[in-house]
Amino acid sequence: MFFHIVLERNMQLHPRHFGRNLREHIISKLMKDVEGTCSGRHGFVVAITSVENIGKGLIRDGTGFVTFPVKYQCVVFRPFKGEILEAVVSMVNKMGFFAEAGPVQIFVSNHLIPDDMEFQSGDMPNYTTSDGSVKIQKDSEVRLKIIGTRVDATEIFCIGTIKDDFLGVINDPTTI
Amino acid sequence: MSSIEPFNRLVKLVARAFYDDITTKGDNQPKSGRSDNRGIAVVVLDALTRRQWVREEDLAKDLKLHSKQLRRTLRFLEEEKLVARDHRKETAKGAKIYSAAVAATADGQPFAKEGEEKIKLHTHSYCSLDYAQIYDVVRYRIHRMRKKLKDELECKNTVQEYICPNCQRRYNALDALRLVSLEDDSFHCENCNGELVAESDKLAAQEGGDGDDNARRRRREKLKDLLQKLEVQLKPLMEQINRVKDLDVPEFGTLQAWEARASAAGRAANGDSSSNDPNKSSQGYGGTPMPFLGDTKVEVAFSGAEGKQVDVKSETDSTPQKVLPPWMIKQGMNLTKEQRGEVKQESKMDGSSATGGLSDDKKSTVEDDKASLQDEYIRAYYAALLKKQQELDEAAKNQQESSNTPISDGLSGASSNRQVGMKSKREEVEGDDDVDWEEAPVAGTTSESFKVHDLNVEAEASAEDEDDIDWEEG
Repeated sequence: MFFHIVLERNMQLHPRHFGRNLREHIISKLMKDVEGTCSGRHGFVVAITSVENIGKGLIRDGTGFVTFPVKYQCVVFRPFKGEILEAVVSMVNKMGFFAEAGPVQIFVSNHLIPDDMEFQSGDMPNYTTSDGSVKIQKDSEVRLKIIGTRVDATEIFCIGTIKDDFLGVINDPTTI
Repeated sequence: MSSIEPFNRLVKLVARAFYDDITTKGDNQPKSGRSDNRGIAVVVLDALTRRQWVREEDLAKDLKLHSKQLRRTLRFLEEEKLVARDHRKETAKGAKIYSAAVAATADGQPFAKEGEEKIKLHTHSYCSLDYAQIYDVVRYRIHRMRKKLKDELECKNTVQEYICPNCQRRYNALDALRLVSLEDDSFHCENCNGELVAESDKLAAQEGGDGDDNARRRRREKLKDLLQKLEVQLKPLMEQINRVKDLDVPEFGTLQAWEARASAAGRAANGDSSSNDPNKSSQGYGGTPMPFLGDTKVEVAFSGAEGKQVDVKSETDSTPQKVLPPWMIKQGMNLTKEQRGEVKQESKMDGSSATGGLSDDKKSTVEDDKASLQDEYIRAYYAALLKKQQELDEAAKNQQESSNTPISDGLSGASSNRQVGMKSKREEVEGDDDVDWEEAPVAGTTSESFKVHDLNVEAEASAEDEDDIDWEEG
């Protein structure tokens, strides 16, 4: 699920950036530092939309670096248990398959794949129904439901299922 | 407290369904012969349904159990959230308050035990059933049982586990990202780099699944069977829960509150207030004052009351009426005039809203009349109800008699299905109850005649229960 929230961060800036473009420097460094990171609490930071306010800088003793408290608005993506996501399959093996929904990695184990789909090994491993009408392989798009998340301080990993109504392949790359 | 009987039945059913093979012995003791105390939880729970708050020593004496054994059982039941317990230090005098309260609830006799006056503190423990909590706990337990089976049946929401055959290390699907290796497409142990195998679900693991597909199918069947058995065996319990659902739960309150209430009731009945006034002996609780000195319970007198009470009520009714602003009274009068044309005596609201015009005196007489009228109506209604009940009872009995034998045959035929009520043979205290408990599931199968017949049974049971108490105390 996506959220638009306000976060705060202390930015350390080298003295050489002090000048007319101080604000721009702070913002570009903030984007470089924050976008694409993941915190267990808020999820993945997708994009910074605006900077609300930059506080007074504090000069660090000894180094000359200055710390600015920065408040910024950003879009975060946080997967939840029970959420339905669309994801792209990144790897298929006999234990199941891995899929990616943006920055999130999701593992679907083979017993959460419908019983009528069988694993086919080969140079393009895949899961196929007995009549061959549905095939899950690398780069397939699937709709899945998250049934468990592991949230660490710096990463989020999910397991999903496609064994439910309206879940499964939504777009097969070979038919395009 | 009139609704206590269905709850007691619920407790008895629960005891037999879930706690009839609980043993409170430690693991190191041999479980054989005399030391086998399975079913003790059932006995204790049954005994508690016939009491309110009870001192554990007294309960032990009544049940002829060792107090240690009883305490162990009670501790277990407390952990299971069925029983509320209270411990306090008290002198002999403090214990006397409790005894007086018991006497008041039992038969209204003043308790005449001479307690020594030595100030010596003993820790006494008391226990009682916590009906509200029992109801919730049981529902939750059944919900969990069902959910677990259903989840396993549908392989839903289960996190796949993997196990390393070499070092027995376990992983689950959430570790998958770390386990996947580059050289081949299976998971490898972080420890010994052995290839992990998926652990099939626990129930299948017990029987050692051979063929992957075969095992899965067999497991499904087993689960389905289990779920079905659960539904069948818990049916009487579920019915009782549904019946209890809309009744208000009997609440004893905390020990202090209950004692205060019970002794107050006893005093009111006996008219003696000198011997065990909680005010005087409150130091027996270790100096803590009783929170329930004045009984704040509001008695609401319904229409069966005497004229005196109605008088008082009408006065209290009319007082807020006087405070009302004049415009409101006007509107109220208009309304009643309209209604008076159609319905003469609808409810008290009519009368009281008309008091702007009527004097207090007059109004009370009106209400008095109304009360007697209602009284008569109720009496007639109950008489009719009773008659109908008897007819129904007889019909049910006939039906029961005619249908009893084939059903019980069927039951014994299918005796591999363990019924909830069947376990009561193990009781030591009341053999009489056996009859009800064996009959209950039978009645459950003929759901039509169940209710009527059941009411009958419960009435008998309660009568027996009172007998029991007399016998134990005498």
